Amino acid sequence: MKKVVLFVLALSLSLTFIACNSKPRLRILNWGEYINDDVVAQFEELYDVKVVMSVADSNELFYSKIKSKTTAYDIVIPSDYMIEKMYDEGMLIKLDYSLLPNVTEVTYIDPVEQIFDSMTQTTITRTGETVDFREWGVPYFYGTSGLIYNNRIEGLEEALNEFGWAVYFESDNHFPNLRRGMYSEAEVAYAVTMFYLDNNPNVFSNDLLNQSKSVLQDASFIEWGNDSLKRNIEANNLDIAFTWTGDYLDRLYIQIEEGKEIDEVRALFDIYIPDTTMVFIDAMVIPYTAKNIEAAHQFINYLSDPEIAAQNAEVVGYAVATVEAFDIILSYLDSDDHWLRNWALANSLYYNLEIERTYYPLTAFNAQDIDKINSMIQDVIAK
Amino acid sequence: MIEREVATLKDYGFRDYSKLVKAFNVVKRIFVVLIILGLYLSIIIIAIKSFNNSRNLSSFSGLTLSWYLEMFNETELMNAVRNTLIVSTIATVVATILGTIFAIGLYTLAKKNRVFWMLLNNVPILNADIVTGFSLMLMFRMFMVFFPNIFGLFTLVMAHLFFCIPYVVLSVMPKLKETDPNLMDAALDLGVKPYKALVKVLIPAIKAGIFAGMLLALTMSIDDFVISYFNTGAGFDNLSIWIYAVMGRRDLTPSVYAFSTLLTLFTLAGLLVYQFLERNKKGEKV
Amino acid sequence: MNKEFKVLALPYKIWLGIFVFVPIIAMALIGISNLNSTVTIADLRITLSHFSILYQRSVLIAFRNSLTFAFATTLICFVLGYFVSYEIKRSRVKNKFVILTIVILPMWSNLILRIESLGNIMSENNILKSIIGFNLFGNISGTWMAVLFGLVFTYLPFMILSIYTALEKIDPALEEAALDLGLTPMMKFWKVVFPLSFKGVVTGSIMVFLPALTGFAVPKILSRGQIILIGNIIENKFIYTNYNHGALLSMIILIFIFGSILLITKFDKEGETLL
Repeated sequence: MKKVVLFVLALSLSLTFIACNSKPRLRILNWGEYINDDVVAQFEELYDVKVVMSVADSNELFYSKIKSKTTAYDIVIPSDYMIEKMYDEGMLIKLDYSLLPNVTEVTYIDPVEQIFDSMTQTTITRTGETVDFREWGVPYFYGTSGLIYNNRIEGLEEALNEFGWAVYFESDNHFPNLRRGMYSEAEVAYAVTMFYLDNNPNVFSNDLLNQSKSVLQDASFIEWGNDSLKRNIEANNLDIAFTWTGDYLDRLYIQIEEGKEIDEVRALFDIYIPDTTMVFIDAMVIPYTAKNIEAAHQFINYLSDPEIAAQNAEVVGYAVATVEAFDIILSYLDSDDHWLRNWALANSLYYNLEIERTYYPLTAFNAQDIDKINSMIQDVIAK
Repeated sequence: MIEREVATLKDYGFRDYSKLVKAFNVVKRIFVVLIILGLYLSIIIIAIKSFNNSRNLSSFSGLTLSWYLEMFNETELMNAVRNTLIVSTIATVVATILGTIFAIGLYTLAKKNRVFWMLLNNVPILNADIVTGFSLMLMFRMFMVFFPNIFGLFTLVMAHLFFCIPYVVLSVMPKLKETDPNLMDAALDLGVKPYKALVKVLIPAIKAGIFAGMLLALTMSIDDFVISYFNTGAGFDNLSIWIYAVMGRRDLTPSVYAFSTLLTLFTLAGLLVYQFLERNKKGEKV
Repeated sequence: MNKEFKVLALPYKIWLGIFVFVPIIAMALIGISNLNSTVTIADLRITLSHFSILYQRSVLIAFRNSLTFAFATTLICFVLGYFVSYEIKRSRVKNKFVILTIVILPMWSNLILRIESLGNIMSENNILKSIIGFNLFGNISGTWMAVLFGLVFTYLPFMILSIYTALEKIDPALEEAALDLGLTPMMKFWKVVFPLSFKGVVTGSIMVFLPALTGFAVPKILSRGQIILIGNIIENKFIYTNYNHGALLSMIILIFIFGSILLITKFDKEGETLL
């Protein structure tokens, strides 16, 4: 009996010892597989900090985890509209730029600047307060959206280039047997229907809600999901679906890693980025629960170094937010290395800012409207 | 030698089904194997994916062991695994000890009293994961007023204890009923102090139940997703939560499949070894 | 012996009292009030407005789907599970423990990985097809058949375990006596074995019915987001932090669960042989 007690005691002690550690910790809440582990390891060594990475797969989950204070996260990386919401509710800590020398030396890419400006605009409309969100968050990646499609289907690419969103939504007029899939995030689904209807996705009304509903019903989607959509397109189990450009590039990178050239992959599945599309930034912010604010600033500073940002982008398909980092990536266009060359090529093709587009950042709706949209979508799906 | 005719079933008026029955039995066996295969279908696919030479989920392009070797380099995966092991080990050990003690306590109650508390005992087991997880989280949030850092390892272990202890109690209780009540009385008559008697006499008698309960608690705890999902914090994600979150963005690294296959093989091996040892023990006794 | 050890039960009574009742009360409160993170104590009031979600088409459909799938799954699990358990019991296999291990082993693998893999091979182009050349399941991914298959084979081990435990407790002498008295094997089964094992059937059915009714991972993944069960609605409410609606729906499910527990007590007065 004594032996058992001693054993249990020793076990629990050693386990608690493993669980605790003497190094200072930095708790980060991030999207899944959205960071290069090498970058994290380098940071840990450079600043002698232990990074504890937590993962969640939606902005809403980020919000509820921070709001409920169940964990003292030091850094969280939400999207723009969620940053606005968190700011409204006083959940953020202002950044100390004296600790962020790298950030002051870089230039943000145009869409990113546009987003910051639009965030300020929508905040003025919403609360009357003028806020420069550059003081509250530093961009991590930015992204656009589009339609990922199965390029093995004859004529689909041409139809998309000519008719745009109509090919996706009008199942009677275009390719009636096309297997269509939709993103199961309420605001995204609503916004996409608004693009098709030539409306501003950031305006909500009951009338618009009903219009959105009938658009979604006419499209006869056979799948609603997030990550599964792009994987099914790749596997030839789905023909067209909404996707973030970064998600498409993730799949592209995997194929490139396995030795394919970009053109080979594009022949199988490609992404169509329409003239009106969503743009968003995910930015690093410091929530009010933060304990290790100094390390948080160090991390933000480290990731704003163009070299590190580019290194991070080797593993994540989204777009780097600074001109300097983008130039580093493009410098590999002539490289002999198969991976680097194709990676640079992918970035130059899909994050090409010279094409005229209208980029819409999404703003957050209030809780009741979101609930209505959510209910509407559940009603569309439920059979 | 007198030749006797042996009467067959037919002579008595019964039909001879024996061949049909034999065929039927074979069919039944095949059917059982098919059903068990059905149970293992997903495990087999996971194993196939773990050997796949490509990250592509829909085509097999050759065998490779690289994901097994890479497994230990995947920091996020290893963290999630480590967290799972910590939580499940603590929860299982504590649940086994407490569950056994509580079962003994409940056993000594009057029947009506006992029935009521056993009913409550079944609630965590039968309650829907989502309801348990959700409601426990709400309760913990009330306590958060007094203990702001409560969410994390503590709430996770508490939540796991909530549904593990009942399994232990349920496993131990039948064994308690089976033990000869005279055993304890004899020990007490011989002058052994009550608690010492408990440990030296009763516990060995119900050993099988305790072990079964421990195994059950461990199984339930290791794979738990929903309850942990709602009740964790401080970055303490276990394997299930991590997999669910990662599936939302990028692709699952095939090392996860490698890990899962390894776990299955180890468990199978462990249980077979245990059986082998048990059989040897029995051989010795005889 | 009894008197001294009664005190051991006391801490558990307190534990159960707190952990069973407090969360339920908390949930009930949130379901019928306007309590959420932005409301102060002063503004707290009881409201029945959340019941409005029961009028929503998707919620009603979700309830219908949940009940249908749960009943179907339980029925199929009963047939398959009883068959397997009975064959195992009747078999001459010396080591039944190994067989039981084989049945439990899949539960040690992560549920989400398993369901995702099943969903994988139910699609048109999948990894199994590229190896063996044809599609084992046709193209049922996204349909009710996929969800049903997934539900049945996820919860079948529970049914097998329950029924097998009950079957093992039957005294073989009873079966022999029945045969001696002239019953055919078929009649022996229906008149002697089955009634004695009924407790296991009830337990197993409940252990299949309840998770099938309330789970959300299996339908979400295997139906490609198309078939919604009540668990999906609750998960959705949680993600969008609409705790009031989520709590209310959970309370309704709780009624089903308590009903099932009471059903168990009818068949098993002591409530102690769930396993």
